[in-house]
Amino acid sequence: MSQDHSPTRPRRNFLRKLITVASAAPLSSQLITGASASAVAAAPAFAADMPDAPSSAPTGYQSFSADEAAFVENMVNVMCPADDYTPNGVDCGLATFIDRQLSGAFGQGAGRYMNAPWAPGKPQTGSQLPFTPEQFFKAGVEAANRLCQAKFGKTFDQLQVAQADAFLKDISNSTIKDDDIPLASWFNDLTYPLFEQACYADPMYGGNRNKVFWKMIGYPGLPATHTLDMVSFRGKPYPGAKDPKSIIDFS
Amino acid sequence: MIKKLPSRTVVIVGGGLTAGLISRQLTSQGIDVLVLERGGDHSNGAEAKLPSQRDELRWDVRQGLVQRWNVQTYTLRHNRLDTSSPIRWMEAFLPGEGAGGAANHWNGHTWRWSEYEPAIHTHYVNRYGKKAIPGNVTLQDWGVSYQQMEPYHDLFEKLFGISGKAGNIEGKIHAGGNPFEAPRRGEYAQKPLETTQAGLLFAAAAQKMGYHPFPTPAANSSGIYTNPDGQKLGQCQYCGHCERFICEAQAKGSPEILLYPMLKQRKGFELRLQAHVLGINYDSHAKRATGVRYLDLKSGQEYEQPADVIVLAAFTMSNNKLLMLDGIGEQYDPVTGRGVLGRNFCYQTNSGVNLFMKDRWMNPFLATGSTAITIDDFNNDNFDHSGMDFLGGGMISASMFGGRPIRSRRLPPATPRWGTAWKKANADWYTHSMSLGIQGSCYPNTENFLDLDPTYKDAYGQPLVRMTFDWRANEEKMSAFVTRKMEEIAKNMGADIVGPAKPRKSPFDTRVYQSTHITGGTVMGEDPRTSVVSPHLQHWDSQNLFVVGASVFAHNAGYNPTGPLAALALRLGDDLADYVRRPRMLG
Repeated sequence: MSQDHSPTRPRRNFLRKLITVASAAPLSSQLITGASASAVAAAPAFAADMPDAPSSAPTGYQSFSADEAAFVENMVNVMCPADDYTPNGVDCGLATFIDRQLSGAFGQGAGRYMNAPWAPGKPQTGSQLPFTPEQFFKAGVEAANRLCQAKFGKTFDQLQVAQADAFLKDISNSTIKDDDIPLASWFNDLTYPLFEQACYADPMYGGNRNKVFWKMIGYPGLPATHTLDMVSFRGKPYPGAKDPKSIIDFS
Repeated sequence: MIKKLPSRTVVIVGGGLTAGLISRQLTSQGIDVLVLERGGDHSNGAEAKLPSQRDELRWDVRQGLVQRWNVQTYTLRHNRLDTSSPIRWMEAFLPGEGAGGAANHWNGHTWRWSEYEPAIHTHYVNRYGKKAIPGNVTLQDWGVSYQQMEPYHDLFEKLFGISGKAGNIEGKIHAGGNPFEAPRRGEYAQKPLETTQAGLLFAAAAQKMGYHPFPTPAANSSGIYTNPDGQKLGQCQYCGHCERFICEAQAKGSPEILLYPMLKQRKGFELRLQAHVLGINYDSHAKRATGVRYLDLKSGQEYEQPADVIVLAAFTMSNNKLLMLDGIGEQYDPVTGRGVLGRNFCYQTNSGVNLFMKDRWMNPFLATGSTAITIDDFNNDNFDHSGMDFLGGGMISASMFGGRPIRSRRLPPATPRWGTAWKKANADWYTHSMSLGIQGSCYPNTENFLDLDPTYKDAYGQPLVRMTFDWRANEEKMSAFVTRKMEEIAKNMGADIVGPAKPRKSPFDTRVYQSTHITGGTVMGEDPRTSVVSPHLQHWDSQNLFVVGASVFAHNAGYNPTGPLAALALRLGDDLADYVRRPRMLG
């Protein structure tokens, strides 16, 4: 740090890379230029639109069993159906994202205080369960499947869209409860945040494939060097929002 | 087996902002300084370089720059008759770790508090009479005046290149600045940051309603800047990855940019990293601190570091903990009212409201940690509290800090939580929404305090600090009042939809980020019966032990703490230079 703390130099390499990426991106012509977010093309259009082809996206599950994978895939497809905005949740990489997070540091409880004694506490002190997030996630999947069996005679992955959607709403607002596992907390405090992160985190984590959610809302991503934009585009549409860049594009 | 090291002149616990400022003053006079910091050096890590710096999941959501809760956390009970629970993952406030401390991942808001704040008790009694302050609200004067702090505010603002617009230069009110501002000797070091679209809309509405909007003073550098020490800041890139992130463009005033690189070149300065201080060696007969004990995380070896002078310059909670662990000063007891340590623990009473405007392009990603337009008309005692049943207030701001998509999307009330309708709402409103927010004062209450938890321990086997804290009546009433004022403005801004403006209410919730402005517990003052340290930040029970940081604030105003915290640290640096030459109780 003492060798170089000039404010400008550290950014230079990055900017050089940025220029390379921008000029080496043959796909901008394939982008649906000018389309407003609400008129974005349906799923098939996205396949043509991607810098990193689907084949390069991570596949396979590190944490999920086959049953858990089936549960999560149905869940993310219900929460993120294929529509005018995005492909379905699995094709957006949402199940992959959740799997990777659970098998990684977050899922293993990195940074979480795990000392005894354990006792239920007020909600405002946060989760007091002696589970890692991965353990809690799996216990919740099992409990939810148990309730589905009792209610519908089949597991969650077998439910039709409307049924599955209603079931998720019911557990999120405690209309349906499990005797053992606090499913409302499982959904609201663990699963739902993972879903949102899967949609909006940098695609390098496996979700938000092809930056589809960033394009949907108009978030331009990196490099975000906006000193001039701040003035030029104050109160106006920002052109870079149509073609967001992620960490992958600079790696 | 503890190894004893050769003695040093001044040892500072915690390598953040205050330690850097104190060290600047001391080393400029050739005084030997050793800083012990529990964390490492961030300046060349993934957190400080592109493209990895622009990773919302890693640095923001997963708190990559924040104290690790598995190592050090706190417990909470809302009332002293409750049983505490440990906060196993904290969201409400975010202490930093590593050289630079929380001043790496701060927003950059840099306020001078109002002129009356250090004499808040006297001020209220003079204005409203003795009965105006409820018996359980333990407001007290700090024992220092704004005039004593002013030169140090001025120095800090120049060192950190603060961008802003003066509202009060030597008593003369200047249009465009904050008319409630304490008098300053001159303009800010740099011109204000560019204003966001949200800021322009708020300023227009507030002005029309007779209020006084101005740009929030910012340590996010509006231009390229060289400070009086020759240290440089780059120009802010408005990248939207500021608070909770390290600035890779070196454009946010931070000790890792402006202080430590310079200090490392100075003779007599040493920053020892990965050195976790476990305690203070205190001789209760001699009433003297003789040194500190620390664990070298690189070797697992524990050391005793003797020193002539010891300064506690860690986060509020750690300053309290170190004094409590070694029994230096009497623990506050809410039953008897006796004791001072852990007393006057305060937070920040915040609330907000979302606005949705389909024809306005807010571009939330064009922003930095302090792009905010603020009115101070309802802050603290800037308005008449006669006939009101509360004291204090809050600033109201249109803040846009970055449109990071995981956390910074605003959705209208009653939007479904998933599905196509959810996506549509995200697509429709992400760049067509903004919010107003209040940062409100939090006054001390006899029932809000810190002590050591009787049950839970940290990774070093030491008790966790226990918070007994909740929003009490004064803060709830204040929040209700100022939140109504905010809502009135929001409804005057021509929005298609205005979300619910919910005031802050009990119970205090650690699952929601509110502010990292945790204050008090080791408060300063003129009376040893109601303060831990003197007006010169000298411990009443150990004249060679000093405490600095927001833990010495006797109350919290509706401002960010950095301004007075930095001013007090620079002043302490000068006081210590004097003390080292002639040790005594400073008067």
